[in-house]
Amino acid sequence: MMAPFSHTATGKKAAMALRSQLAQGAKFLLGLWMAGVIVAMFVIIPQYEGLGDAGRIIIMHVPTAWVTSLAFVVSGVFSALYLFRRRVSDDASAVAAAEVGFLFCILATATGAIFAQIVWGVFWNWDPRETSILVLLLIYAAYFALRSAIDDDNRKRRLGAVYNLFAAVTMPFLLFVAPRLADSSLHPNCAFIQGSQCDGITLELSGARIGLLGDSKLELKSLERQGDLVVADVNVTRPGYQVENHRPSFDLASGKPADRPEFDGEQFMLAVEQVDLATGTARLNIEAPGSGLLGNSRTLLTFFASMIGFTALFVWLYRLRAQLLMGEEWLAQRERTYGFPS
Amino acid sequence: MDFLANPSVAIYTAMAVALVVWVAIFAYLLRLDAQARELKRRMEQVPGEQTAPRATLEAQRSSE
Repeated sequence: MMAPFSHTATGKKAAMALRSQLAQGAKFLLGLWMAGVIVAMFVIIPQYEGLGDAGRIIIMHVPTAWVTSLAFVVSGVFSALYLFRRRVSDDASAVAAAEVGFLFCILATATGAIFAQIVWGVFWNWDPRETSILVLLLIYAAYFALRSAIDDDNRKRRLGAVYNLFAAVTMPFLLFVAPRLADSSLHPNCAFIQGSQCDGITLELSGARIGLLGDSKLELKSLERQGDLVVADVNVTRPGYQVENHRPSFDLASGKPADRPEFDGEQFMLAVEQVDLATGTARLNIEAPGSGLLGNSRTLLTFFASMIGFTALFVWLYRLRAQLLMGEEWLAQRERTYGFPS
Repeated sequence: MDFLANPSVAIYTAMAVALVVWVAIFAYLLRLDAQARELKRRMEQVPGEQTAPRATLEAQRSSE
């Protein structure tokens, strides 16, 4: 009668040992993977034209921001599960994910500020993107403050979970929507996810030659072919500025924008992204420095490798932190049961 | 040490610094992970384990 039981127990033990070994192997693989991403970031991906080495920061900056959003969603889900099932482990996972998300949010803000210092000349200029991420940081700082302000464990968990659900709802708006609603942001929103102004505007010499792009009025005056280059003569009217004349160009041989003139006193650039001389049409766009960073295939591959690595790192970190929180809870419970710290 | 900031070497210097930072963080995480696993193992062992003699606990409770 004992044989089947011991057989099952041995099998279970062996499966657990195998699982533990696989988990250890995955952690070492993650260590090597991230080291590879760092090497690729500095050595394999090319410099971005106009930004030099500063463009490389996208390999760290965007994945940390992505992990932030993922972490806050995971945290919100565990908070909902806690309210539904009232399991302490769900609350520990919610707190752990929020803490890791908060850490990655700080990293995304810091790497963004470094990029801003190099490219915009200032660490912080209250760009819509900077402002919204600061608000998000404050919302989650308040979550931790709320939890630490309540002594009763059950009350703390319940109120924390409810607050966390509200916080998670604000996250997509603050990270993805609000920065794209702003007409004037220096943040290169078009680097990966298409924003509202990523497609530019198509103007036609014999038709609609005037159009609005954000809060700027663009007028296409002429298209002139100079060898392989097509030079567009464009008047730009921006609120509070005199009419500016720019001559961006397009390289027919490479099929890419050639000269992108900068606006007076600002770093936005005017680019001709597509041209058709037969119909006299040109697609114009206003780009922030860093737009199209992921156009290069080596950069794109390194970027995706970094996204995968950071996601795996998040999973490891939040589970580890949740385990430690459960350990704390276990010690506190022992103390309550036996009346003295063990 | 000035050669480390030389434009042709600076990118490798930055890479080396980033790698050292990552290795340090990773080693710390592995150590923390091992400690957490040990803690978990002890937590799972506890139901059948008595950390203090029952008689002592009862004596303590009766004196309260």
